Amino acid sequence: MTATLERPPVTPVPPPASRKRLRRNDTAGPLAYVLLGITALVFLVPFYYMIVAASRPMAEMNRTPPPLTPGPDLWSNVVKAIDSQDIGLALVNSTIVSGVITVSTVLLCTLAGFAFAKLRFRGRAALFGVALGTMMIPPSLGVVPLYALMANLGLAGELSSVILPSLVAAFGVFFMRQYLIQTLPDELLDAAKVDGATSLRTFWSIVLPVARPGMAVLAMLTFMTAWNDFFWPVITLNSSNPTVQVALNNLGSGYVPDTSVIMAGTLVGTLPVIVVFLLLGRQIVGGIIAGAVKG
Amino acid sequence: MPTTLRPAPGVRTPPRAGTPWRTRLFQVEERTAPYAYIAPFFLLFAAFGLFPLVYTAWISLHSYKLGSDMEWLGLDNYTWLLSNPEFYNALWKTVTIGVLSTVPQLAIALGLAHLLNYRMRGRTFFRVSMIMPYATSVAAAALVFAQLFGRDAGAVNWLLGIVGVDAVDWRNGDWTAQVAISVIVIWRWTGYNALIYLAGMQSISQDLYEAAALDGASRWQQFRHVTLPGLRPTILFTIVVSTIGASQLFGEPLIFGGGKPDGGALGQYQTLGLFMYQQGWTYGSLGRAATVAWVTFLLIIVLVLVNTRLAKRRASK
Amino acid sequence: MKNIRKTSTAALTTAVAGTLLLAACGGGGGSAPDDGTTVLTVGLFGTFGYEELGLFDRYEAEHPGITITYESTQGEDKYWPALQTRLASGSGVADVQGIEVARIADVVANQQDLWTDLRNTAAAPSIDGYVEWKEPAATTADGAVLGLGTDIGPMGICYRSDLLAQAGLPTDPAALSARLTSWDDYVALGTEYRAAAPAGSAWMDSAGGFYNAIISTEQEIYYDATGNLVHESNPAVRSAFDTAAAAGQAGLTARLEQFVDPGWDAGFASGSFATIACPSWMIGYIKGKAGDAGSGLWNVTTLPGGAGGNWGGAYLGIPASSEHVEEAAELIAWLTAPEQQAEVFASVGNFPSTTAAIAMVGDATDPWFNGAPIGQIFSDSSTNAPVQILGPEDGVIKSAMVQALLSVEANGVTPADAWNSALADVNNQVG
Repeated sequence: MTATLERPPVTPVPPPASRKRLRRNDTAGPLAYVLLGITALVFLVPFYYMIVAASRPMAEMNRTPPPLTPGPDLWSNVVKAIDSQDIGLALVNSTIVSGVITVSTVLLCTLAGFAFAKLRFRGRAALFGVALGTMMIPPSLGVVPLYALMANLGLAGELSSVILPSLVAAFGVFFMRQYLIQTLPDELLDAAKVDGATSLRTFWSIVLPVARPGMAVLAMLTFMTAWNDFFWPVITLNSSNPTVQVALNNLGSGYVPDTSVIMAGTLVGTLPVIVVFLLLGRQIVGGIIAGAVKG
Repeated sequence: MPTTLRPAPGVRTPPRAGTPWRTRLFQVEERTAPYAYIAPFFLLFAAFGLFPLVYTAWISLHSYKLGSDMEWLGLDNYTWLLSNPEFYNALWKTVTIGVLSTVPQLAIALGLAHLLNYRMRGRTFFRVSMIMPYATSVAAAALVFAQLFGRDAGAVNWLLGIVGVDAVDWRNGDWTAQVAISVIVIWRWTGYNALIYLAGMQSISQDLYEAAALDGASRWQQFRHVTLPGLRPTILFTIVVSTIGASQLFGEPLIFGGGKPDGGALGQYQTLGLFMYQQGWTYGSLGRAATVAWVTFLLIIVLVLVNTRLAKRRASK
Repeated sequence: MKNIRKTSTAALTTAVAGTLLLAACGGGGGSAPDDGTTVLTVGLFGTFGYEELGLFDRYEAEHPGITITYESTQGEDKYWPALQTRLASGSGVADVQGIEVARIADVVANQQDLWTDLRNTAAAPSIDGYVEWKEPAATTADGAVLGLGTDIGPMGICYRSDLLAQAGLPTDPAALSARLTSWDDYVALGTEYRAAAPAGSAWMDSAGGFYNAIISTEQEIYYDATGNLVHESNPAVRSAFDTAAAAGQAGLTARLEQFVDPGWDAGFASGSFATIACPSWMIGYIKGKAGDAGSGLWNVTTLPGGAGGNWGGAYLGIPASSEHVEEAAELIAWLTAPEQQAEVFASVGNFPSTTAAIAMVGDATDPWFNGAPIGQIFSDSSTNAPVQILGPEDGVIKSAMVQALLSVEANGVTPADAWNSALADVNNQVG
């Protein structure tokens, strides 16, 4: 794909005006627009299909060829979905769960990632290896013992049983470590040390600002992962106190799962994530650029 | 903690005289802080990760049916597993679907990140659309794709029909089912990896590009000689994460298979994740499920080590 | 701008943290209120119809001091593992739990300690009112009864009269039934259909579904009366397998796996298949999938030769950990009483399992299905049904057989190879 961007390397380069040359080099050509346009289309078509399926009677979607335009039933299917499951409560619950997990994961992972990236201490390599190893544990592995543990703590069925195991993630530690190795110059830390700053102070006033773009990306990814987490919440929570995924799992209750209603519910359940992303997305884009300027 | 306030043996005299108390405190802080920073991770992991892990190992040595008591079996579950052709089938399918999904996914992501890194109009729109698939739950994505890949009324076959290709029975074919599932995975994760690459690219110093441009390097040469080396840690990171993700592939094939963990008539898309789920939650054999999980865990560790070593060796060449 | 964002992020963080604290303080757990009322929790899967019909509300109104909390999971395949996980951990289990018929043998064989023996409760008098095979399936070797039956799944043949007419076959239920005196007739008629059928329409949906229909009319399937596994030696199993496999090889099936392939759902509307062996509860499923446009296209007749069969149904049990066994027993006795069963059938379609209720619904017809006498068809099927011997591994074996048959029709595996691989799968799992 990128090969098409190749230019003959021997083309004589106009030696002056390096600034101008740089800017030109930075700007996308028509090909980039075409490729990104196609990709965006491919990425968005399933959403469109979801809207079409959510807005038509189930039987209509089973025709060949399938209908290509949205029908009139979107609102009534959304109402059916909300009627059959407490989606309002589920949205609140999911917001709490995903919000707490995100704040905690981002903070704790940045702390640990910073330690692993830039601080020297005994056992660093081994401990990092262990942290990495925890990522390889299949998530469904510990479900039975975990449920027993939550039951003993009296937390089964409570939101905290979903929150507690996800307060921190090895992925985040790994991610922040990689990010800080790349972006945080040792000189900055050395300078802070010479100035006599404690490492906590260094963390607060030097590491955090540099880490912010990475933290923003991690926050977004964590939020989405938490929002879409399915396997464990379905086991530990029940339909009277659900997260969005638990509620969606219970949608279309009965022998005749109504695909249209499920799709409508799925849309309602996905919407908040997309809104959060649209709000955060701008900041993330801004953050990434800010990070680049500093780097 | 307070006991560590005295200077550790071997610590050199404080560099600046006059404030020994503060200096000592700094030194102590410097030595203990790293542990304090990583402590939350390990404490939480010990409670909610390690305990289930160890306990699961214990379970794997037992016959443990859902709802009944455990009976000691020793290593019987392991001999059962290692002599079970279905296990090897699942292992092989995990590998093939893993390769089918991971390689294109990372390659496309790298290309997309490169494109997204340009100054362009509508950049925010493109970046947002890249991550939209990841914002969708696995369940929703797999549900939609299962419809799109339908044999009789699926949109994919309908499009193929326009070009004159006969309807494909995606679900029941061996490779076709694996391709369909890989497409779901690629669809969901490519934008995610592209964003991670993008963040990595942004952290590469502009000076390097400037220098390369001054040397007359083309865009492609800049990509090869500045971007790729600069991204090396990030690429390694995504390889490790994708390898782990692929080895645990579960939701996509489960929902593609209508919630049944058989992975098709021939087990053509039964991954290790599905195999484990089938043992534990369809057949109710928690002991065997725990065994599958532990063997998978060990295999993943080996795989990641090999992968990392290979990637490092390639990178150092 | 930047500052505003920062502030809003901080505010969001504070808000989230605050909410969590509130939630942590507020969530005191589900202990009973002090006003003397008893809270009964009911955990079910799919549609039992109780909530939908307002039966819980009615019960609460008639029984002051009882409050019912209902929770439902859509799929039984998700409901059961979660319930088992909770049973294993000893917490989070409801006072009343639904049990699907495919699980009852496992419950009876392995979980006697985890469920209440209903003989010693207020539900005891209800045990006798059922079709003769319903309650024995929920009874342990010691005679303990672990569940009260809700519904059963007597079977018929659902068919597309429009497609049959196009192929020149009889469309009247009685006329069709006259042509179907055995499963071989059914296959022969399918061959006839295939020769004259509209393009893209097969005789039946899947070999696995066909197998399942044949086997559901048998008394002894995978276990004999003494509880030994006989799936390999029972000629009925092999014969059903071979019949279904031959139909698959002959192209009489649409190769659509039931409940798994989205094309199966679509097929009810599109006509990918003309007939399907249908238990009573599938009536509602077909209506839902074919939609209003399908009204009048479908009809129902009896199984070949008027055979009786059963596929599906459920029980209500009381976990041993319940602290309100007596109240729960009164509740399940009321929910499964004939009047309530008949009411559930009328509105949701779940066929009753008590003989009194079956008598009440005998003349029910369904206008969507061309006015088919479904009450009569399914009543006859339920009375003619054999007393099936169920076993704890039935589900495993059935799923191996269905999977093997799919490989015959969809992947060209020979029936003999498929049979052997099904046996190998079963032995691997059960052995």
